[in-house]
Amino acid sequence: MILPIGPVHPGLKEPLRLKLKTRGEKVLSAEIDYGYIHRGIERVMEGKTWQKGIFLAERVCGICSYIHTQTFAEVFEKIAGETVTLRAQYLRVLTNELDRIQSHLLANSTYFKAMEHETLFMYMLGLREPIMDAIELLTGNRVNMGWNVVGGVKMDIKQAHMDSILEIMDKFESEYGRYVEMFESGPLVGLRSHDVGKMTRDEALMARAVGPIGRASGLKHDVREQHHTYRDHMDWKVVWRKEGDNFARTMNRFDEIWESISLIRQVINNLPPGEVRKKIEIPAGDAEYRNEAPRGEVTYSVETNGNLIKNISIRTPSIMNIDACAKYMLKDVATVSDAVATYATSDPCIACTERVIILDESGRHLDFHGVHNINSKLKG
Amino acid sequence: MLDGLKDIIRKSSIHVCLVNTGGCNGCDIEIVALLSPRYDLEQYGIYVHNNPREADVIIVTGAMAEQWVDKLQRVYAKTPEPKIVVAVGNCPLTGDVFNQEGGNVHAPVSDFIPVDAEVSGCPPRPSEILEALLTVAPGAIAARGRQKL
Ligand code: SF4
Repeated sequence: MILPIGPVHPGLKEPLRLKLKTRGEKVLSAEIDYGYIHRGIERVMEGKTWQKGIFLAERVCGICSYIHTQTFAEVFEKIAGETVTLRAQYLRVLTNELDRIQSHLLANSTYFKAMEHETLFMYMLGLREPIMDAIELLTGNRVNMGWNVVGGVKMDIKQAHMDSILEIMDKFESEYGRYVEMFESGPLVGLRSHDVGKMTRDEALMARAVGPIGRASGLKHDVREQHHTYRDHMDWKVVWRKEGDNFARTMNRFDEIWESISLIRQVINNLPPGEVRKKIEIPAGDAEYRNEAPRGEVTYSVETNGNLIKNISIRTPSIMNIDACAKYMLKDVATVSDAVATYATSDPCIACTERVIILDESGRHLDFHGVHNINSKLKG
Repeated sequence: MLDGLKDIIRKSSIHVCLVNTGGCNGCDIEIVALLSPRYDLEQYGIYVHNNPREADVIIVTGAMAEQWVDKLQRVYAKTPEPKIVVAVGNCPLTGDVFNQEGGNVHAPVSDFIPVDAEVSGCPPRPSEILEALLTVAPGAIAARGRQKL
């Protein structure tokens, strides 16, 4: 039997259609329909100046809006062959890690909600609010921050703000461990998470899974290792696991938060003096830049004539992860509610994903079921 | 008598369905943030269920992507009377940044379904969304119910 879920459904926060092929309660396989929030954002950006483009880039995705502006700014800095001042680089790390913490907490809270563990869901959202306060303190906004510009960041940070952020971090850290332990050693939540939605390393490679989803399946790949600020100035390690099930994905995100807290401390304690913004002349050219968003690798490749954006293509991590979920995690799952929980652990962010519509020759919309299906269609 | 009873019950149990018609997701997570212990939406008797068939309030976010042109009216029709629609964010009001040359959106949402309350902002703060919901929802639902009878 085919069980359709969505686009508006109690289990989903964002519109997407999930078709589960079931026999009895068992889920045999799944298929995904995209296309509910395609806005044509790349097309809107074309022909605009890069000063405008950065605000559009921010609105590709609301949860990880920060990293999109950073990558957009860095791709233009790469075209100009310049790097921003060290202070600005440090401040970018600070905001990026704060953003990562809130995004991971939100992702885990969605998972707990999907498996009906209301207590942990509330705790996660409760923990997230102080982090949102820290972000607001630093940038002035909760979600779309408008904090990056090509050439640095918009404002300098004051000592008082740094002190409050450290204070928030101390408080956060003292409470946070308890909830991680609750999940890690809780018999009931464990039972519902171990060995559900398993994806092996080979499957993850084949699905090109990135971010915490790939890392939980044993792909030790984090683009932050190649980023110059993280590589040269920060002391941290990539968090990864081998199991590849729901438990591993959730724990992977929990463990990354510890690293983020340590990175935030390092930034605030060693913040170098200097300017936060400099003027950069953009020549004509093209470049590509990668960064690690909370959900994995995000790539911007841009062609510009020095003033206008001629061509831009954005690749976000979610599309790979959702495809990996549909193809490899959602096969032979014991129950439908486990399937919905598994879908939630793949941390789907539909707004990032939707930048493609498929038309036939006469301009009619065709259904889009994900990258794998296009590939298989092309093969024959 | 019956009207009064209905009013009281409707006012204290409001079910919300959240429909994202093509925004950046920022507004949706601010609505999720409303569920957190700090704002605690449920203490006002408002529950986010995402089920149009039992909803009293439809919260619309997003700028009306192509796919939603016919589907939004279907979601609206499925929701039982009395119902109210709250548009959250700049997207459903004007289309925000997406409503430019090249964008594939059909904002505003009020072209497709009647909108009772609008909250502007990109995204609005959770407290503003909460304020709008509390101002408009209980009274409007009760009043609509009376007109019908
Ligand atoms: S109003 Fe702004 S934050 Fe809300 S969905 Fe639209 S672009 Fe995103």
